[in-house]
Amino acid sequence: MAFWIELLISGLVAGLVIGLSALSITLVFGIARFPNAATGDTMTVGAYGALLGHRATNSLLVGGLTGAIAGAIVGFLGYWFIFRKLAQRSNVALLVASIGLAFVLRAILGVSFGHSQQVFQLPLVRPWRIGDVPVHPNDLVLAGACATILAIVFAILHLTPIGRRMRAVADDPALARVSGISPSSVMTVLWLLAGAVSASAGIVAGIKTVVSPEMGWDLLLPAFAAAIVGGIGSPVGAVVAGLLIGVVQEMATPFVGFTYKIALSFLLMLVVLLVRPRGLFGKLEGAR
Amino acid sequence: MSVLEIDNLSGGYSEVNILNGVTVSVGAGEIVTVAGTNGAGKSTLAKAVVGLLPRVEGEIRFEGSVINAVPTEMRANRGIGYVPQVANIFPSLTVQENLEVVVGVTDQRQRIAELFAVFPALASRRRTRAGSMSGGERQQLAYARALMTRPRLIVLDEPTAALSPALVSETFERIRALPSIGASVLLIEQRARQALAISHRGVILDGGRVAMEGPADTLLADERAANLYLGQHG
Repeated sequence: MAFWIELLISGLVAGLVIGLSALSITLVFGIARFPNAATGDTMTVGAYGALLGHRATNSLLVGGLTGAIAGAIVGFLGYWFIFRKLAQRSNVALLVASIGLAFVLRAILGVSFGHSQQVFQLPLVRPWRIGDVPVHPNDLVLAGACATILAIVFAILHLTPIGRRMRAVADDPALARVSGISPSSVMTVLWLLAGAVSASAGIVAGIKTVVSPEMGWDLLLPAFAAAIVGGIGSPVGAVVAGLLIGVVQEMATPFVGFTYKIALSFLLMLVVLLVRPRGLFGKLEGAR
Repeated sequence: MSVLEIDNLSGGYSEVNILNGVTVSVGAGEIVTVAGTNGAGKSTLAKAVVGLLPRVEGEIRFEGSVINAVPTEMRANRGIGYVPQVANIFPSLTVQENLEVVVGVTDQRQRIAELFAVFPALASRRRTRAGSMSGGERQQLAYARALMTRPRLIVLDEPTAALSPALVSETFERIRALPSIGASVLLIEQRARQALAISHRGVILDGGRVAMEGPADTLLADERAANLYLGQHG
């Protein structure tokens, strides 16, 4: 039993990483209306930013903030120099451009930091035992940090004027404009937020495992799977589906082995889409 | 003085002109109906006024200044309200959020209270997601949203097109009252007779051109207008 609870906990932590990255994907999809393939490499940027910040200050908090800010800057630059110029094009053009941005980011990181794996040098802490279950304090800190980030994002979306405007643009861009909402201010905030959120996911993944230029690209597919399972464009759905996929992957590892657990997220995606094509929390597409 | 002057306006969504030299004006306190058959360019004209038509030639003046180059969101801030034919509310926002989201209202709280007094049905549903409301309630919310900025011109694109017959006369009554709160009206309407009955003047478009225009009662009495555009019984 303790074994399964341990798997559940590590599944939830993995799920938070997937959920945060899926949240970034779903925010961009809902408002800028294309699947952003640079999400994974923005995660990597966040992980390296945090690694540098942590090495310089020995503070995980400062490291995390450095990484999140680096991600926000990358998000904004991508918008300002690439996606803004292509806004009138089809979403396929935007997708292809985001794949290009992903390669550029990865190449820059590879040249700057090399391709060897790096780790956060954290002090070893003895796990707490709750009953028979070992609980790692670091996992709790990371889970708490993720929960805080999620709370901040949802507070921005639902409690602030700019968040309301973002949701209004997601509902209907033309009606938002005739309501006086400037698309460029909404887009700027969206990209800063999406960049910081993906970077946070990358930071958590980097702390849990290792940091390498390829890490974000490897995490991109489960993130897309979660965004789709949750219902594309639904922030709550992205997080719930991320947790679900994380838990399913970890709990299935004893049966299918480490190598094949990634495939499970796609099996889950197929099943959900067959039963409920709009995803768990997706809206029905209204007739226009 | 005219609130809105549209001068020799041509344009469309692509290379093809849908409007071919339309000239229309709306005076202060006036309701002007734009009627015409399907495809005459009525909704395209409305989109040109609010800045959602990609290509326009000619001049659009609002309160005396040319606004051709003014982006849509700035036109809203300057005092042009717009109620599109469909998709005129934000379905995933609550009723209150639909009003709060409008930019450029300094006394937001007071303005929302005023509009809830005008549309009491909305006040009781302020926390309801707009997308789950009935057609009539959505319509009220669409007007309230457009009125948030106290617009001096309000552009209505076929406001009765998607409504049940019971709501149609209620809607025309609501439109008739708009000048009394300071909004002149450009009314795009398929139900030309009923629209002209509450209007000061009317313009009939055909093939993107002005086919007839004049005082509303003159158009209503005109035999050619009746035969070609208004239908005998409206």
